[in-house]
Amino acid sequence: MKRPFDFWYIFEAILDLLPYLVSTFMMLILSILGGTILGSILAWTKIRRRPLATGFADFYIYIIRACPPIVLLFLVFYGLPEILLRGFGIDTNHFSQLFFVVITFSLLFSATMAEVIRSAVAAIDKGQREAALSIGLSDMQAFIRIILPQATIIALPNFANSLIVLLKEGALAYTIGFIDVMGKGILMIGNQYGAHALEIYIALGLLYWSITIFLEQVFQKMEMKFAPDKVYRVEKRSEKERRKHEF
Amino acid sequence: MNFNLDFMVATFWVSLTGLGVTLKLTFIPLLLATPIAFAFAIIRLKKNQGFYQIITFYISLLRGTPIVLQILLFYSLLPSVLNALFESLQIELDIFSLNPIIYAYIIFTLNSVATLSEVFRSALLAVQNGQLEAAKTIGLTSFQAYVRIVIPQALVSALPNISNTTVNLLKGTSLAFLMTVKEITALAKLEAAYGYNYIEAYITIFVIYVLLATVIQLLFGFLEKRFGRYKYPRNREKENLYA
Amino acid sequence: MLEIKNIHKRFGNTEVLKGVDLNVEKGDVVVILGPSGSGKTTLLRSINFLERADQGSMVFGDKKYSFQKASKKEILEVRKKTAFVFQNYNLFQNKTALENVTEGLVIGRNIPKKKAYEKAVEILTKVGLSDRYDFYPSQLSGGQQQRVGIARAIAVEPEVILFDEPTSALDPELIGEVLQVMKQLAKEGTTMIVVTHEITFAQEVASKVIFMDEGRIIECGTADQVIKHPKEERTKQFLRRITNDMEYAI
Repeated sequence: MKRPFDFWYIFEAILDLLPYLVSTFMMLILSILGGTILGSILAWTKIRRRPLATGFADFYIYIIRACPPIVLLFLVFYGLPEILLRGFGIDTNHFSQLFFVVITFSLLFSATMAEVIRSAVAAIDKGQREAALSIGLSDMQAFIRIILPQATIIALPNFANSLIVLLKEGALAYTIGFIDVMGKGILMIGNQYGAHALEIYIALGLLYWSITIFLEQVFQKMEMKFAPDKVYRVEKRSEKERRKHEF
Repeated sequence: MNFNLDFMVATFWVSLTGLGVTLKLTFIPLLLATPIAFAFAIIRLKKNQGFYQIITFYISLLRGTPIVLQILLFYSLLPSVLNALFESLQIELDIFSLNPIIYAYIIFTLNSVATLSEVFRSALLAVQNGQLEAAKTIGLTSFQAYVRIVIPQALVSALPNISNTTVNLLKGTSLAFLMTVKEITALAKLEAAYGYNYIEAYITIFVIYVLLATVIQLLFGFLEKRFGRYKYPRNREKENLYA
Repeated sequence: MLEIKNIHKRFGNTEVLKGVDLNVEKGDVVVILGPSGSGKTTLLRSINFLERADQGSMVFGDKKYSFQKASKKEILEVRKKTAFVFQNYNLFQNKTALENVTEGLVIGRNIPKKKAYEKAVEILTKVGLSDRYDFYPSQLSGGQQQRVGIARAIAVEPEVILFDEPTSALDPELIGEVLQVMKQLAKEGTTMIVVTHEITFAQEVASKVIFMDEGRIIECGTADQVIKHPKEERTKQFLRRITNDMEYAI
């Protein structure tokens, strides 16, 4: 190390880094939006089971999940401008890095979300839809009023996991020069010629770790809040089963 | 767009020379991490030991921070730590002449331990309690029951998750260029910068990674079939033979 | 041969066993009846130390065991003298029918593999599964699985076999094949303690019937005494309900 380790500098660094969380969250929120919309379309395609479209959706999900995020990020950052310029005459020179980061992470998130949404919808008993149709709801109404609310609750834990993965993968955005909390940290290290690198990394680690724990807690609370009847049902069932066993 | 196909083919071969490094970066940490992760999982399940808190803390920390940050942090920290360690043990070894791949092994192992121990823990939990009880009633000791009945079943049910972990680790190795390790991505980056053929270079390694992930998944799929036979119905011909 | 004295067990605030005594002679078939939550399953599990009872002791053969204080070695000793048949079979999912039977012989009792194999074949044939040796549990019907469960239990030549509602997880049409095997065992003089709701089975083979309720033994005697001519009101009520259920089922 070029300078002795300065414990208190960690807190200084955290204070310097905090404002840049805004960019991190902005990138995350936009990517979640983009990814969820694209993911819903993919999930819907798969649920309808049209062979060709499903095959395409499966292929897309498969390759996105197999590709390292950094490779996709580089591909979008270096490749997209050329496609836009040559194909559509759009010059991306003045585009901010945020644009490319959001595209990349929307693509990544859509593949995860497609599976999260599909499996949540598939987990709902077929009888739910049939019962809704039987009392005169349309297919659309049945989906929005009966299936979707239940599927959302089922999807919550997986959504939370995917979100945390996205948060961590999002840290890669600095590699193309995006200045979020990670990017700012790297800049700070560069500005000091590598001094205090360790303190800044630790500060970043503490920030990411707290956000992860915070998200986990929030989603756990949400699960408990939105599914009280689920817990109740499980209890009831196991009570019944226990009796059956005893009897 | 002047898409350069020749360059793609050339990059493909250049990147492939990094294949060995990428595979080593994936499988050596995986093998090193497995026994430690297993021990961690068992300690976490038994709860009442002092290690429990430390291990839970470790897992939460490693799973709560981006791997890119872990790489940067350990890469700047490890040399001085190892140096101090070797000095205090009076081992003559120039730490700065070490192949950076050693650091990559250490970091990916530390990270895989956290992921795998969660995989093993949930797999052990998924084996029904009745299996352990039944083993005890026929006179097996707890140890025998674990080794012969519980762990084999847990390993099979963990295979899909181990497969995922391996693919994620493979993807993670693409960050080893931060430690100047010459794996697939690092080589492609070099090639790309040389002739400004970024798209071609990254499409090429995109394809390589997808192929590698496919091979890994096929491999685990095979293992699952082979060792998970007991989960599936028998094939028809054999059924008829016995009927 | 097996004498249980004053066994107590509580789960949290509920006392499930409130001092039960039980005496089993060699060759006895003891059937334990009782409503849900009466503690009969817990009693059976405690004998095998699958639950740790809080108080009481057991004389097994010529040795005395404390339920509360038995050492690991003593527990293993008791388990080697007993066998347990579970309600939900609990066959080892990763082992074939044959391996399920040999496991306790080879690993639990150090019997050579070849001998264990021969014995397992013999026993599986006896329970009518000569054509299912290399089937995995998931490939067998419930009745077949439970017959393997029984085979696994008798293979280790236990002094007592404990049956915990062996037929209550089975579809009605599969119950018969399992009871058939159990009756055969009873005929051969196997000592058995059976928790069940099969009244007919109790009447046919039980040498002793016990009625339990709320953690205590309410009535104890021959099948004729307890089932045909119960003295206690609670026994009568329970039997009425059970026979009604059976009529409904038919």
